[in-house]
Amino acid sequence: MVTIYVDNMPYQVREGQNLLVACLSLGFDIPHFCWHPALHSVGSCRLCAVKIFRDENDTRGRIFMSCMTPATEGVRISINDPEARHFRASVIEWLMLNHPHDCPVCDEGGECHLQDMTVMTGHVYRRTRKKKRTYSNQNLGPFINHEMNRCIQCYRCVRFYRDYAGGRDLDVFGVHSRVYFGRLEEGALENEFSGNLVEICPTGVFTDKTFKKRYTRKWDLQTAPSICVHCGLGCNTIAGERYGTLRRILNRYNGQVNGYFLCDRGRFGYDFLNSDRRVREPLAKTGQGSGSTALEPISADEALSRLVDIVQNSSRVIGIGSPRTPLEANFALRDLVGEENFSSGMAQAEQDLVSLIVHILREGPAPSASLRELESADAALILGEDLTNTAPMMALYLRQSVRRKPMAVVNELRIPGWLDAAVRGAVQGNKGPLFIAAPIAAGLDDVATETYHAAPDDIARLGFAVAHELDTQAPAVVDLPADRHALAVRIAAALREAERPVVVSGTSSMSPAVIQAAANVAWALHSRGRQVTLSFVAPECNSLGVALMEGRSLEDAIEMAERGQVDTVVTLENDLFARAPRDLVDRLRASCRNFVVIDHCLTGTAEVADLVLPAAAFAESQGTLVNNEGRAQRSYRVFPAPDPIGESRRWLSKAVMARARGRTEEWESFDDLVTRMRQALPVFQPVSNLAPSADARIVGRKIARQPHRCSGRTAMLANVSMREPPPPRDADSPLSFSMEGFQGISPPPLNPRYWAPGWNSAQSLNKFQEEIAGPLRGGDPGQRLIEPRDNGGREYFNAIPVAFSPSDDEWLILPSYHIFGSEELSALSPAIAERIPSAYVAIGEEDADLLGMSEGMLARVEIAGAAESLPARIVADLPRGVALLPKGLERLKGLAIPVRARIGKAVQAEKS
Amino acid sequence: MIIPLLQGLKVTLKYLFAKKVTLQYPDEKPQLARRWRGRHVLKTHASGKIKCVACMLCATACPAECISIVAAAEPDNRKYPESYVLDMGRCIWCGHCVEVCPKEAIEMATAYELAEYTREDLIYDKEALLQSPQERYVVEKRKAG
Ligand code: SF4
Ligand code: SF4
Ligand code: SF4
Ligand code: SF4
Ligand code: FES
Repeated sequence: MVTIYVDNMPYQVREGQNLLVACLSLGFDIPHFCWHPALHSVGSCRLCAVKIFRDENDTRGRIFMSCMTPATEGVRISINDPEARHFRASVIEWLMLNHPHDCPVCDEGGECHLQDMTVMTGHVYRRTRKKKRTYSNQNLGPFINHEMNRCIQCYRCVRFYRDYAGGRDLDVFGVHSRVYFGRLEEGALENEFSGNLVEICPTGVFTDKTFKKRYTRKWDLQTAPSICVHCGLGCNTIAGERYGTLRRILNRYNGQVNGYFLCDRGRFGYDFLNSDRRVREPLAKTGQGSGSTALEPISADEALSRLVDIVQNSSRVIGIGSPRTPLEANFALRDLVGEENFSSGMAQAEQDLVSLIVHILREGPAPSASLRELESADAALILGEDLTNTAPMMALYLRQSVRRKPMAVVNELRIPGWLDAAVRGAVQGNKGPLFIAAPIAAGLDDVATETYHAAPDDIARLGFAVAHELDTQAPAVVDLPADRHALAVRIAAALREAERPVVVSGTSSMSPAVIQAAANVAWALHSRGRQVTLSFVAPECNSLGVALMEGRSLEDAIEMAERGQVDTVVTLENDLFARAPRDLVDRLRASCRNFVVIDHCLTGTAEVADLVLPAAAFAESQGTLVNNEGRAQRSYRVFPAPDPIGESRRWLSKAVMARARGRTEEWESFDDLVTRMRQALPVFQPVSNLAPSADARIVGRKIARQPHRCSGRTAMLANVSMREPPPPRDADSPLSFSMEGFQGISPPPLNPRYWAPGWNSAQSLNKFQEEIAGPLRGGDPGQRLIEPRDNGGREYFNAIPVAFSPSDDEWLILPSYHIFGSEELSALSPAIAERIPSAYVAIGEEDADLLGMSEGMLARVEIAGAAESLPARIVADLPRGVALLPKGLERLKGLAIPVRARIGKAVQAEKS
Repeated sequence: MIIPLLQGLKVTLKYLFAKKVTLQYPDEKPQLARRWRGRHVLKTHASGKIKCVACMLCATACPAECISIVAAAEPDNRKYPESYVLDMGRCIWCGHCVEVCPKEAIEMATAYELAEYTREDLIYDKEALLQSPQERYVVEKRKAG
């Protein structure tokens, strides 16, 4: 700690920061543009000027950039010095020379950092009548709108896009006063994190194109804390609604999870909520019993009486839960059908993998890494994951981790870590150790030390070999080729040298051996006294959560249904056709009298149901999700779904009551349900501590979901009814669906938006943090449910697979992943849909030669008797004997991958 | 005692023959000041295009919260209000909406005969607000059209 003097008052601040960060952490307002907490200082905008005085007798002082000056012991500064203030106002004035002042039509208006800073510096009057320079804009694809005239040349966009996220296609062009930030040619921004430009850019140059279609001012949006449902990482988001439609997703800072950023799938995938695939009213087969009649809308009352009827007259009901649905809904279903009839909704293979991950994280000794911790790892080994496409934010943070080790040089040169340009100059593009073993080139390959492309069994063997190199107790891999052995030795050496290595693996290669190998490596490192962490990618937003409920697998449930005595199957927010082969689901359908589906979108499964109940989707329901780390996080309703759509647990609660059979206790409220869940499944004990309970109040008031400036309250619904309806009640949470309520800084798990007086933009976040880029005031939300046991002796896994050997007539089919397309919900969003690749089969170069195929040629892929013709994609480094099919793409749903298949040239006639 | 009575009478007599200030409304109409805050109008450019760019400032400034706007953009990115609803029944005639508008797109005109039989009829939509300021807003016309 050092003492600094701000306007003659002493303050204690942490050493080694710059003055801007120190002062913002203390709660002072210093205007700034180019500094960003994740991108640090470059000193290019000159807005953060303060006066620095030599000592207490110095009255003149000198102007310095606070973001470029370290906070050293005894430094005396003045923020309010008239000269400094004048300086800052003139900076704004010159930046404004060319700024179009089009706030009324600018999407950034009302949440614009430039507006805030202009007001803060007090610049109000334009003294020149010169013409402003103008630019033409580019079409940057479905996500981002471009309006270059508004640029103030702070360089944040390219620094984020290129330096931080590793993008290549956005750059700065031109010289002097005519610099241009854009692409060389028009076209969609390629980087998976382009959406962050919306929040990074302090002006309205880059704005959310999906939001533009249904534009609403920030102050008119009803918002609530939410959790992203589009992958297993559980990034925290703020979802915003107006007029009953969900309109956008913004990042919600969580110091342990997603920090300042989101991926594009998470930011733009929300639109499935407004898609025409939504189920908006109950549907039923009208001709009772005959399976062929079409689904027709029925009233909510009739749906309910049918549900009650079905449930009451069923002797045995099977419940199929879902890893993309919160714990509470899954538990409600489990409660309805009983523990022995509850299925997790995951196919056996997937369930085994997720359970294995839970087992490894529980047994320890290596704990699970939080997402943000990955950033500070100084060595990483990735086994079998294409992170950019399976867990995008993990890729973003691992990309930063490669800078950790070379930072040693920076420390030696005594360059402060936040002096970004100097740091990058000193590091000279050197990268710390990051090893990737995956079937094909992944998005992180450009920063990898070494990559190894192989079949999952070979990846596992490499992992096992690395573990053995680190600790001879770990089982050795026999007959490993010399080059691979050498690679294992190199990896082991690099990991051994590191202080905080991380081992990353996951379910995407569908191979338990790969996961076990990762565990062995981590445990071996732990035995050598390294602070090693493990990070597993889970396939969906609540995969770990349902795995902890220990339900049956999907196959198990189907078998049970077929054995008989099951009259009813209730499927909860789950498209079974996407998880199991078609015939298996058809068998399930055939084996039960009543097939009830509760879902928000009309999936293939819902289409074959007898009764479909419309469920609320993520922003319309409250629930708890468990992410890949084992962290339980609460997501709240942003707006109540319009009748008759209901939260899944509400439908289920009514069914439970109907089926009561002597059971009297009911769970009307969310908190009751959580309490029941904790009693039934003690592993969920911490879930009730995630956030204040529904009866919590702040100074006697609920927290308002709408900002205090929200407009049009009495006129919004005037066309529906003259009488202003009372705001919907929310009995489940301490948040209100109204602008009335507490508007200040709320407890982090409940905080609906970032806003502070004078800070309308997302940058107001600095008022919500204990210190800049540190934890939120009141602690980062979420609680880990899985911690490793004591460092007891752990038996290494020793089931080392045999090496993969390609055969000449059969290919091993593995899934390939796409950030846009491999996840079913986001794929329903129109903006995401534009970026989904069309189906293909990927084969290696050698295999292509063997088959005489070239890029784009139609290939016939024959899996278990069924054939598909798909255009071939030739992938240079795909190992011989392995072929990839993209996961989740409509035509290829439900394939039980990995599987062996025959591949050949398609007969010309089959070309469709 | 008689003096005050006479003084009173004098006043009475004076006003008996003075010019009458009572206006025989509705047969006679008052002369209104130009800054009279009467019914709102949304203004148009000479081209006929609506001036409003749907910035929402009027709705935000309105203390009665009685303006509600849905924004939209033309293909050339020009923004306009897809719907503009003003509930005259809630309006307190403060003029904040006019004052705040950066485009001088909303003004308060002199029309003041705004009484209707139901509150529903006091809800003005975009079409109603675009009528010329002199014209009395005819509910039947809106209902028919
Ligand atoms: S486009 Fe935005 S982020 Fe990039 S330099 Fe301009 S103002 Fe800064
Ligand atoms: S990384 Fe995953 S959880 Fe995070 S925003 Fe993207 S899809 Fe959502
Ligand atoms: S005059 Fe005042 S109350 Fe009436 S619409 Fe305008 S701002 Fe609202
Ligand atoms: S303030 Fe003016 S331009 Fe803005 S929405 Fe209102 S009428 Fe339209
Ligand atoms: S923030 Fe310090 S110079 Fe830009």
